[in-house]
Amino acid sequence: LKREIKKIISAVWVGIICLVFSSRLSTMKAASICPNDQTGCHLLPLANLFDRVIQHSARMHGISDDLHSEFELYFLPSKNQIGRVSRNCHTSTILTPNGKENAQRIAREELAEIILKLLVAWRDPLWHFHQSMSQHDEFTNFSSNKSLEMSDMVHELRKGVLKVVEKMQMLGIISNSVGDTGSPEALLTSDSAEWRFMKDYDLLYCFRRDSNKIQNYLKILKCRIVPKHGC
Amino acid sequence: CVCLYVNLNGFLGLTLGTALVTPVEPHFTECMSRDLETFRCWWSPGTFHNLSSPEELRVFYLKRNSPSSEWKECPEYSHLNRECFFDANHTSIWIPYCLQLRGQNNITYFNEDDCFSVENIVRPDPPVSLNWTLLIVSPSGLSYDVMVSWEPPPSADVSTGWMRIEYEIQYRERNATTWEALETQPHTQQTIYGLQAGTEYEVHIRTKMKGFPKFGDFSDSIFVKVTEIPLRESAVLLTLVLTFGVAGILILIMLIVVSHQQRLMMILLPPVPAPKIKGIDSELLKKGKLEELDFILNGGGLGGLPTYISDYYQDEPWVEFIEVDEEDADCGEKEDQKSSDTQRLLGLPQRSVGCFSADSHPDDDSGRASCYDTDLSEQDTHLLAASLLPGQPEDEEAFLHPDEKAPASETNKSPLIQTESEGKPTWINTDLYAQVSNVMPSGGVVLSPGQQLRIQENTEKESQKKGTLGEDTSKLNKPQFQLLVVDPDGSGYTSEITARQISTPPSSLVPGEGYQTIYPQPMETKPAAPSEPNQSPYILPDSPQTRLFAPVADYTVVQELDTHQSLLLNLPTQQPPPPCLPQHPLKAPVAIGYVTPDLLGNLSS
Repeated sequence: LKREIKKIISAVWVGIICLVFSSRLSTMKAASICPNDQTGCHLLPLANLFDRVIQHSARMHGISDDLHSEFELYFLPSKNQIGRVSRNCHTSTILTPNGKENAQRIAREELAEIILKLLVAWRDPLWHFHQSMSQHDEFTNFSSNKSLEMSDMVHELRKGVLKVVEKMQMLGIISNSVGDTGSPEALLTSDSAEWRFMKDYDLLYCFRRDSNKIQNYLKILKCRIVPKHGC
Repeated sequence: CVCLYVNLNGFLGLTLGTALVTPVEPHFTECMSRDLETFRCWWSPGTFHNLSSPEELRVFYLKRNSPSSEWKECPEYSHLNRECFFDANHTSIWIPYCLQLRGQNNITYFNEDDCFSVENIVRPDPPVSLNWTLLIVSPSGLSYDVMVSWEPPPSADVSTGWMRIEYEIQYRERNATTWEALETQPHTQQTIYGLQAGTEYEVHIRTKMKGFPKFGDFSDSIFVKVTEIPLRESAVLLTLVLTFGVAGILILIMLIVVSHQQRLMMILLPPVPAPKIKGIDSELLKKGKLEELDFILNGGGLGGLPTYISDYYQDEPWVEFIEVDEEDADCGEKEDQKSSDTQRLLGLPQRSVGCFSADSHPDDDSGRASCYDTDLSEQDTHLLAASLLPGQPEDEEAFLHPDEKAPASETNKSPLIQTESEGKPTWINTDLYAQVSNVMPSGGVVLSPGQQLRIQENTEKESQKKGTLGEDTSKLNKPQFQLLVVDPDGSGYTSEITARQISTPPSSLVPGEGYQTIYPQPMETKPAAPSEPNQSPYILPDSPQTRLFAPVADYTVVQELDTHQSLLLNLPTQQPPPPCLPQHPLKAPVAIGYVTPDLLGNLSS
């Protein structure tokens, strides 16, 4: 009889604990997906994707900013961080909106395409920059790691933006005209390795500027497409 | 390759400036943007005295977005402030601007350092509508936490995501000189921890663009103060002591419960007592294994019974065993035993009540071995019973002298029969084992009386000698039997003749004294009357020669035949007879065959 009582008590305890956990899990589940109205519910994953991509671009810009500051410390103190840009950046040929109104007036597909173009344009230059940095002894390992990280981030950010574009096309928000502009053939024809002639410092300066552009464009795109989710 | 460039020019200028008062050319003091859509530039004319009038200096800017760009004049002047304002139409982000000042004679004062991109000169406005709320006060009342919240600057377009702003809170005590700064974060509220009660704090906030180093101006200060709440220290101590005490007591209780689990279970959930028979496992009863049950009950020998107790019920000390008395089984039948039962219940001194069954059939398998199942269906058995019954005192002589009074005996027989019919033949309460005296031709068995009878006879000896046979009706209840003892000295086995003499009367409760004669039909041995020693070869019950009322063992050794052709038996040793008293209900039951629970209940009652 005693054993039976013990069994019953233990079974009751297990049942209570299971109930508590299941209720907690259910409440957690309910809270995570679509807490608000149903209209914007299907856009929640898209907003999450956007947030992730924007965070990524912010981090990329931060790294480029750090590297640029380091370069300035070592070599070029300047007042307004303007630098001595001897020549234009190689991405100057890409037409980008230079103001808020322009960025808001431009079509979403165009904006997405511009972002992708920028990302594609910086893939090779950053790789070479990293190579040159690692070869020189005067740069610390910290800077070398940062340049590598920067180079990787461009790759990943491009993939992320492509995913966002896919999702948007799936949801019907933008048309299917936004293609993958990162094909190697397109790259070779357009830029023709103008960046090889740039100095490292100018590369950094240009990349810092372009990463800020990418960040801003992504944020504007998000707030145009999914405005309710944290704009 | 990396080209090193050292700006010696500016360096020299700085050192020279400290030593001498060198004329400072007109220059821009600062260019700033508040919202990443417009920007302003301020200039200073310097120390050149011939350019004192503000209108003489003109601002030109160059946008380096194309190789063929040219210098343009400032779109909006504010000569009062010496400020040039570029509105949204003239502002382009991510494009380098260069500014220069031109004097009257087309003297240009241009510094390379004055080139910039608008995003690098952004200093956002400070936040607005600051306020604070008290989050929590510590239990001691000495410190508290405060939540400060605000609104983003209206000039910064945060909603479209054009600008991403971070905030930095700084606070200090009213009279302190240095500010405490918290980490910059993008949310519009922040908690300040650990402020002291009673002191006033000053809080202000400034903003900057995320990813860019330049901060905006500080906001207006707000003042935070919480008055001290006097809390008694003792209250805090008391609560602490209470909580710890309760926790300790709980732990103690847990330990006690865990250590004395068994006893607590006994107290809280006392086991339900169920009837258990010593030596019998209830499982056997359930499974219906009667053979094993029988075996157990019989003990496989009586010595086997206690072991079963230890096996089955060792861990249940509360088990009480109902023991069935052996003799109780004998005193089985209900209706005739009521008096005996009530006597048992009342605790009255038990009498050796004979165990007679009113309806003792010849084939009755009552399972009580000691109750003798003799055939009474035959008339001869009835007669035998009648003969065995204690007759009336008046008929004693008739019994004694059947031969002489054959007609009288016949007449006596009728009263015999009458008495026999009056009283139902019941069985004597006798021992477990009895000697079979005779086997009737009808198939019945005549058994010798138990030792209980003999004791009874012994006690009745005195009353018999007084000749108060039949006087006392109170004695009638007692079964008074007088055995025919052939030879007091005789011991050993009785012969067939005497065996027939010494046969147990089948019923005893008929009022009357002990009988004197046994009448096996073909042969009758009659007790010789004391007055006629010569007449009959029988020994009178009350003959001085005979110790008639001495208990005779079931088995006695025949010593010799005396002159009267009577057997001389050895007197049995006085043995304490096994009392057929239901005073010990806790003995092991002896049953042959199946014992039902209600029978057990009857036995135990």
